[in-house]
Amino acid sequence: MADRPGGLCSHIAEQRDLVMESYKIVISFLISPESRENLEKRVQRFKCYTCESVGARCRLHACLQCCYVGCRLYNHSQEHHEESNHHVAISLSHGVLYCYLCAEYVHDYEFDIIAIKARQRLADFLDLNEFVRSVPLWNPKYGELELLSLQPKRMRVDSKTPIGLRGLYNLGNTCFMNCIIQCLTHTPFLREYFLSQQHKCIRSSPADCLVCEMCSIFQEFYSGKIFPHVPTRLLYLVWTHAQHLAGYEQQDAHEFFMATLNLVHKHASGTDIPYSGGCNCIIDVIFTGSLQSDVVCQSCHGVSTTIEPFWDISLDLGQQTAGDSRKPRSLDRKKLTDCLENFTRAEHLGSAAKIKCSKCNSYQESTKQLTFKKLPLVVSFHLKRFEHSKLLHKKVSTPIAFPQQLDLSPYMAKPEEQEEADPTSTSHDPSFSRPHTYSLFGVVIHQGTLQTGHYTAYIRQSPNGWFKCDDCEIKTATIEEVLNCEAYLLFYHKKYIEYAVE
Amino acid sequence: MNQELSNRIRQKLVATGEEERLKELLKTRLLSSGWRDELSAVAREYLKAKGVQHVDVEELQNVLLVEARKSIPDTVKKELLVEIRDFVMQHEGIL
Ligand SMILES: [Zn+2]
Ligand SMILES: [Zn+2]
Ligand SMILES: [Zn+2]
Ligand SMILES: [Zn+2]
Ligand SMILES: [Zn+2]
Ligand SMILES: [Zn+2]
Repeated sequence: MADRPGGLCSHIAEQRDLVMESYKIVISFLISPESRENLEKRVQRFKCYTCESVGARCRLHACLQCCYVGCRLYNHSQEHHEESNHHVAISLSHGVLYCYLCAEYVHDYEFDIIAIKARQRLADFLDLNEFVRSVPLWNPKYGELELLSLQPKRMRVDSKTPIGLRGLYNLGNTCFMNCIIQCLTHTPFLREYFLSQQHKCIRSSPADCLVCEMCSIFQEFYSGKIFPHVPTRLLYLVWTHAQHLAGYEQQDAHEFFMATLNLVHKHASGTDIPYSGGCNCIIDVIFTGSLQSDVVCQSCHGVSTTIEPFWDISLDLGQQTAGDSRKPRSLDRKKLTDCLENFTRAEHLGSAAKIKCSKCNSYQESTKQLTFKKLPLVVSFHLKRFEHSKLLHKKVSTPIAFPQQLDLSPYMAKPEEQEEADPTSTSHDPSFSRPHTYSLFGVVIHQGTLQTGHYTAYIRQSPNGWFKCDDCEIKTATIEEVLNCEAYLLFYHKKYIEYAVE
Repeated sequence: MNQELSNRIRQKLVATGEEERLKELLKTRLLSSGWRDELSAVAREYLKAKGVQHVDVEELQNVLLVEARKSIPDTVKKELLVEIRDFVMQHEGIL
């Protein structure tokens, strides 16, 4: 162990400048190449010069005092040190300095920064920012490391820890807000973003920033406190910024959800336009997907395609199947996938709604079909249970069955090249097609009638740990209970980001 | 798989930058699946039990390797496999 944590050992410090020069070279040629040319060159050099082994398991190290690369698997890098008296090396798998005299890896802030910056440039050039930026890792800075060492108390969080669960006071018909807060605080990517405090406030005052408020709500939820939280500031911020939701009446949870996304996006990005192209605020990173709309002219079969962004999907429930009460309920129970099929079906626009076809250069009847072009990390479905017309406001209580794992691949837009695909090609083997599988993590329920209803939510705390959140009250729930409820909003996340092994 | 073929695939993976993409993908998945946290907990316990002065990186690496490989979620393995398969199919020239 070096006596100064996070510093160079005396052997390396002695020739720091020389070592740094070679370190930069190795980083940019072997570890994070910044051009195609360097990537290609790397192929030849990325092996043990003595035994020619390759791959992560042989743990290659490059000597920083000459250009030898040796493996640790068969001790060739150690042999090089003994033969040549060179003692500073760098691990090619991790870019960390190694001192043979100390027989230790050595960390130094300035060296680390060189490696991190090179990695960022590689990510830019290979277009990997999807991974590098969308899930930014918390790398504690040196000041933060000091703070951590002053706070020796540690909390171990695993799948059995109840942390993250907290009741919410009802501030007078505010269950519409509470159920949404419960779902948002259990959205995996949002949790990672807020708990690692990545928000850099751009508002004039953090007190007027909904992102900052979300941040403090996450802090409250994960503080370990067991008494309910009072979300007054969030309510106040939403009231002042989305006036249509102000007042002590019951509001629509879906409307509140959309208004919250919109306000967080606005306050995080400083723009007033929703889904402003290329916005990479946390809301757009997580919730923005896109729909492809294909309008097909019935005369010439020409297709005109447009792409529209979305934050959530509103689904029609179709006709209520009343009068079939003799049949067992499970048989005629409509499924979420039925609604999705309906949503993505080609719809005839009718003779009254002719659209100008650019090919025929005249107004023609056409069909319109929506499909998913890009799926977001979190897909939320809004089941349209409330019908509002001029004369009538009514609630549709049709039961809708929804799965715990949802495959959205049948509703994806067909890739353009598919028509010309070689039918003998094996690459269309369905078992290799990329999965668009989503896992359920939150459900909002509306109980009662339109006027005197009450909202509650089911949230998934750990892979199989479900809880029912009813304002102040939090109770464990079974998955059967969740899957049989009369859902109003459904929240799914991309399956592979599931927290914990199945 | 024969050695020559696997070398050719590896070279193509490195030269096209696909290897780096897969690395980042894998890192992201392992992080979000909780794998990394679980593994660092194992490491911490080992260090505590033996005393941090008496363990070097080499030893820790050997101890963790078995557990690390064993605990990679199947979904992650499968996703990586599909990605690599897709890559090999796109570059049929390597076969
Ligand atoms: Zn070797
Ligand atoms: Zn050397
Ligand atoms: Zn040293
Ligand atoms: Zn802020
Ligand atoms: Zn945005
Ligand atoms: Zn036409």
